[in-house]
Amino acid sequence: MLLAPAPFVPALFAPALAVHDLNLLIDGAAVVDGVDFAVASGEVMALVGESGCGKSLTAHAIMRLLPDAVRQGRGRIELDGENLSALSERQMRRVRGRRISMIFQEPQAALDPLSTVGAQVAEATGLPRSQAREAVLRMLAEVGISDPARRIDQYPFELSGGMCQRVMIASALIARPAVLIADEPTTALDVTIQAQILDLLRRLAVERGTAIVLITHDMGVVADIADRVAVMYAGRIAETGDTAAIFAAPRHPYTALLLAALPRLTDVPRSRLAVIEGRVPAPAEFPPGCRFAGRCPLADDHCRAEVPPLRDVGSGHLSACWHSEAVR
Amino acid sequence: MSGPGHDALVVADLAVHYPARNGPPVRAVDGVSFALARNETLGLVGESGCGKSTVARAIVGLQPPTRGSVKVDGAEIVGASRAALRAARARMQMVFQDPVTSLNPRMTVGEAVGEPLLVRGIARGAALRERVAGLLTEAGLRPEDAGRYPHQFSGGQRQRIVIARALALRPALLVCDEPVSALDVSVRAQILNLLVDLQRAHGMACLFVSHDLAVVRHVCDRVAVMYLGRLAELAPRDALYAEPRHPYTRALLAAVPEPDPVVQRAKPRVPLVGEIPSPAHMPSGCRFHTRCPMTQAICRTVEPEWRQVGSSLVACHFAG
Repeated sequence: MLLAPAPFVPALFAPALAVHDLNLLIDGAAVVDGVDFAVASGEVMALVGESGCGKSLTAHAIMRLLPDAVRQGRGRIELDGENLSALSERQMRRVRGRRISMIFQEPQAALDPLSTVGAQVAEATGLPRSQAREAVLRMLAEVGISDPARRIDQYPFELSGGMCQRVMIASALIARPAVLIADEPTTALDVTIQAQILDLLRRLAVERGTAIVLITHDMGVVADIADRVAVMYAGRIAETGDTAAIFAAPRHPYTALLLAALPRLTDVPRSRLAVIEGRVPAPAEFPPGCRFAGRCPLADDHCRAEVPPLRDVGSGHLSACWHSEAVR
Repeated sequence: MSGPGHDALVVADLAVHYPARNGPPVRAVDGVSFALARNETLGLVGESGCGKSTVARAIVGLQPPTRGSVKVDGAEIVGASRAALRAARARMQMVFQDPVTSLNPRMTVGEAVGEPLLVRGIARGAALRERVAGLLTEAGLRPEDAGRYPHQFSGGQRQRIVIARALALRPALLVCDEPVSALDVSVRAQILNLLVDLQRAHGMACLFVSHDLAVVRHVCDRVAVMYLGRLAELAPRDALYAEPRHPYTRALLAAVPEPDPVVQRAKPRVPLVGEIPSPAHMPSGCRFHTRCPMTQAICRTVEPEWRQVGSSLVACHFAG
């Protein structure tokens, strides 16, 4: 726990990144609807949810790298207080990789197969080759690449997946961006390598003061490194707050069921896992009220009719549920 | 006590080596032995490239092994004639990770689930439809679903269809290769509950291949941990998770991120250095020595024997 919970922008403490009321539309359906969150320097904020919840689209919207089919409606994205949505594409290009960077799930696919590790990491520095080399070597060492003097001249195919992810992190962070967006950074990696990369991300957040937005589907990853978390369902934030508080006492039925659906190393083997009946509604069929109502054991007519707002349920812990006090 | 002929599966010294154009062969599986009793579920865990999926494919006859023996319900698979293999395949079925590629998009669900029964002349017509309806119900689908096509179902439901089809011939052995890895958490729970129910109802033997130690603990009676083509440890579930004997098992368990910040952040870190070596350039001695936190001189030269420590079998000089 590095900093006090700060789900909304407190006046005395400016976040590195703030997303206000983000709305993303596909064919008129709000696949991301009213998403609000902020991240401070040195903090790890996780966006967690199952496929199609909008977590990855939110990340791409922050980078202004949305697919053509997705249009941004309402919403404002602020980087150190500057409204990114107002920037031209040319200005935005100077922001990406320098003030805000992104790493992806498939490091091998995200790296250029035809250029060396050194060239790719140096690209973000904007320095001439000769000067960049020293900086690159330092950065490779910082992300835990052994023998950087040899690795710097190698190509991605010569490296393992874990090593490629370290290279991607090095190239994302060498320009000292204020914010790093990490989109499922360890999903394609084995658990022993995942543990190494998560340790690295946490260390970099603390040492460099980078604000990290971590996109993941894995509650274990959230529990490991996130200071705060926003649980997303069908394009909306269901619940957000301090990681410890949410895991200890979830106040949204979706979060509670999601946590109870996980087999754990501490539960009784073959015990019944909680299931969430039905499936996530398609965007064209989003109901007028709470989007989880169709699958929720607590849902009533009020839930089906009216969208529950995110309400404070105690010390910065917010839940978008009309029955948050009934969640156990 | 069940003799070898009575076990559902006996794998002895199984090896799968792939020849390389230049250089030594890739030893994907390099001498693996274990047996599986009826009623028993054995988890086979390890990281990518350890050979666990190749073991599964060799068992069901999809991958001819370089050496070794695989007996399913007493019948040898390795080197079996096509007719013998066809007979043996009725006794074993496989469920893969990706239900989308496991189903023919042009066959209705009813045709897919009923095909094994039809092809083997077990049922047809109204009797077949009735059997299919029963299988679908057992897998948590509706009998009416028989007329629909795979694309009309979600990923979790498609995995149910694959499971219904695998159960059609009442196999003695079910081989599941990462059956829930492609599914979202809430759906994964449904399929795990289904698998647990089916184990209870049918008592078939199940080999459960997975990289996920929490999932394996949930459904398995015993667990085998594989590293670079060999078993590092094989133990009853509770022994393996409570008292892992092999340093690799310990590191794997320590690396599982638990969905509980209090537990997870209090956990001792057992960082494994480096990465898995290539199975084409196997380390000398113990194949785990390049990453092991307790490597000694002997580990670099002498391959550890497979030995019993407590209720576990373990391949480590220093286990005990």
